[in-house]
Amino acid sequence: MIRMLDHTADVGFELKAPTLEAMFDEARRALLMTVFERPPRSGEDEDSVRLSAPDLETLLVRWINELVFLIQGDGFVPVHADVRIEESGGEGFSLEASLTGASLDVEGHGWQGEIKSATFHRLDVTNESGCWQAQVILDV
Amino acid sequence: MNIEHVSEFKYRILKEGKMRVDAAFYASEGILEDLRSEDYASLKQICNVAMLPGVVEPALTMPDIHWGYGFPIGGVAAFDPEDGGVVSPGGVGFDINCGVRLLISELSRKDVDPSEGRLVEDPQRIGLADTLYESIPSGVGKGRKDTGFVREDLEEVLVEGAGALVGRGYGEPKDLENIESEGRLPSANPKGVSNRAYQRGVSQLGTLGSGNHFLEVQYVDEIYDEEVARAYGLSEGKVTVLIHSGSRGLGHQVCQDYVERCMEAAKRYGIELEDRQLAAAPIRSPEGKAYLGAMAAAANFAFANRQLITHFTRKAFRRAGFDSEAHHLRVLYDLAHNNAKFEEHGGREVLVHRKGATRAYGPGNEELPERYRSVGQPVLVPGDMGRYSFVLAGTEGAMSETFGSSAHGAGRKMGRRAAKKAAKGRNLRRELEDKGILVRAANRATIDEEMSEAYKDAAEVVDTTDRAGIGKKVARLRPLIVVKG
Repeated sequence: MIRMLDHTADVGFELKAPTLEAMFDEARRALLMTVFERPPRSGEDEDSVRLSAPDLETLLVRWINELVFLIQGDGFVPVHADVRIEESGGEGFSLEASLTGASLDVEGHGWQGEIKSATFHRLDVTNESGCWQAQVILDV
Repeated sequence: MNIEHVSEFKYRILKEGKMRVDAAFYASEGILEDLRSEDYASLKQICNVAMLPGVVEPALTMPDIHWGYGFPIGGVAAFDPEDGGVVSPGGVGFDINCGVRLLISELSRKDVDPSEGRLVEDPQRIGLADTLYESIPSGVGKGRKDTGFVREDLEEVLVEGAGALVGRGYGEPKDLENIESEGRLPSANPKGVSNRAYQRGVSQLGTLGSGNHFLEVQYVDEIYDEEVARAYGLSEGKVTVLIHSGSRGLGHQVCQDYVERCMEAAKRYGIELEDRQLAAAPIRSPEGKAYLGAMAAAANFAFANRQLITHFTRKAFRRAGFDSEAHHLRVLYDLAHNNAKFEEHGGREVLVHRKGATRAYGPGNEELPERYRSVGQPVLVPGDMGRYSFVLAGTEGAMSETFGSSAHGAGRKMGRRAAKKAAKGRNLRRELEDKGILVRAANRATIDEEMSEAYKDAAEVVDTTDRAGIGKKVARLRPLIVVKG
């Protein structure tokens, strides 16, 4: 589940999902909803992402920033992600994702403007009664 | 929160809890009401800043304060390196050295706007708007290919700043005289900038960005201080160009890289953080020095970015039929509002963080160009695209009270989603045209998000700044053409 937030200077979203992987995928969807009026639904390009981080909050920030880079830097819009997250032996977490994407079409997708970065402000990843939740503020 | 009313526009938040020093803020009744209505969320953020090690009293906010992430926007905080003071990448922000540059021309309003706002279907003005929009891309999907810059060029830009571009023919040597720090922060370390940051920066030099970034063609519609205006070369009716942009993806990446490094460093040095985005490292630590070197490199990119935009602005004026002799666009001033700089205040060297705040040195400061030294530096305060922007002058009050800082803009009062909602069913582009303002933007969303109603009235911000003595009103500028990324 995605709930868009309206921070005075920036934008953000609240995420809820039954698994950690699903919550990270919701972050991808929320990002597309933020930067596009009409996000593409299908694509034929492929890419992959591998990340690691000392905690889940940092992993989520890095994941969003990686997707921002793919969209704004490479013109690759990730329309589907197969996300796998593992705890790496007490040293944090690692993420691998296989992405399917479409080429960025600024006009066709209704580009809404750049994201500078995901922030750590008020960022919290929690698991309550089997439901993963997070809140993310983006600097735009 | 224990707030003390010091004088008409000045308030002090007395230190309590983990705060190491008092905080102070400047507000009119209206601004105070806005702060109350958000339950002082932005003021709580400056109190968090006042908890950081080595902070020098007081931690401050300017009259355009609004809620940020970590630092509030409009926040100013100085840290003493000799007292364990820290540097915070989040306190500088993602858009390192974002700032504004004001160009002044020899054209008068009637040259660009012969119908004085009644007839926006003026072919030469429409031509200028279109040419500016085509010449200065936003940078997403449309990077700059015409310069052919490669990584080696960028490495030089990161060390030399705006001067690297003047050396390549993009501008005039005189341009550099009127840029804060002459368009170059020393001690930049391009090796501290990641490959990804280079990758993001190489095609974005000379691009505007989106969000609140813009380029406006304006005219001077009111002068408040004749003497200072004369020193700045401003007179009623003169056409100006205001450019607001920063260090683009390169700066954003530098900030991302170092926020994480400083988060780890904060743990190691035992720095307690109320908000992780305030991640900080001691100025004298290897991590702090590494960030400052990379930050200076990104700052130099931002100075160079505004220099390249200036070059393409001049070119656009020529292509639209205003030759160089006629427009004679020169840099009035270029200043940053997101950075951290070593400066001398109160007889000691401190690192002043300005997050959405402008350096505002008063009269007599030797760092200022000679032509402005007797009146204080120009302080540029952009408003919103439907109303006005202001030129102020730095004051002695700012030097003694705010570490030589002043306001940087109007400050948002409405979130972006709320603004889009409020704009539904309206044609803002047409509404602006009816007011004589031509807008060129990549999409409707940008215009809606940036609507006048989404911002506080810049006039209230500058009046408060002026009456509080931390900036002096000099002139008001009205938009004729607005280009948004």
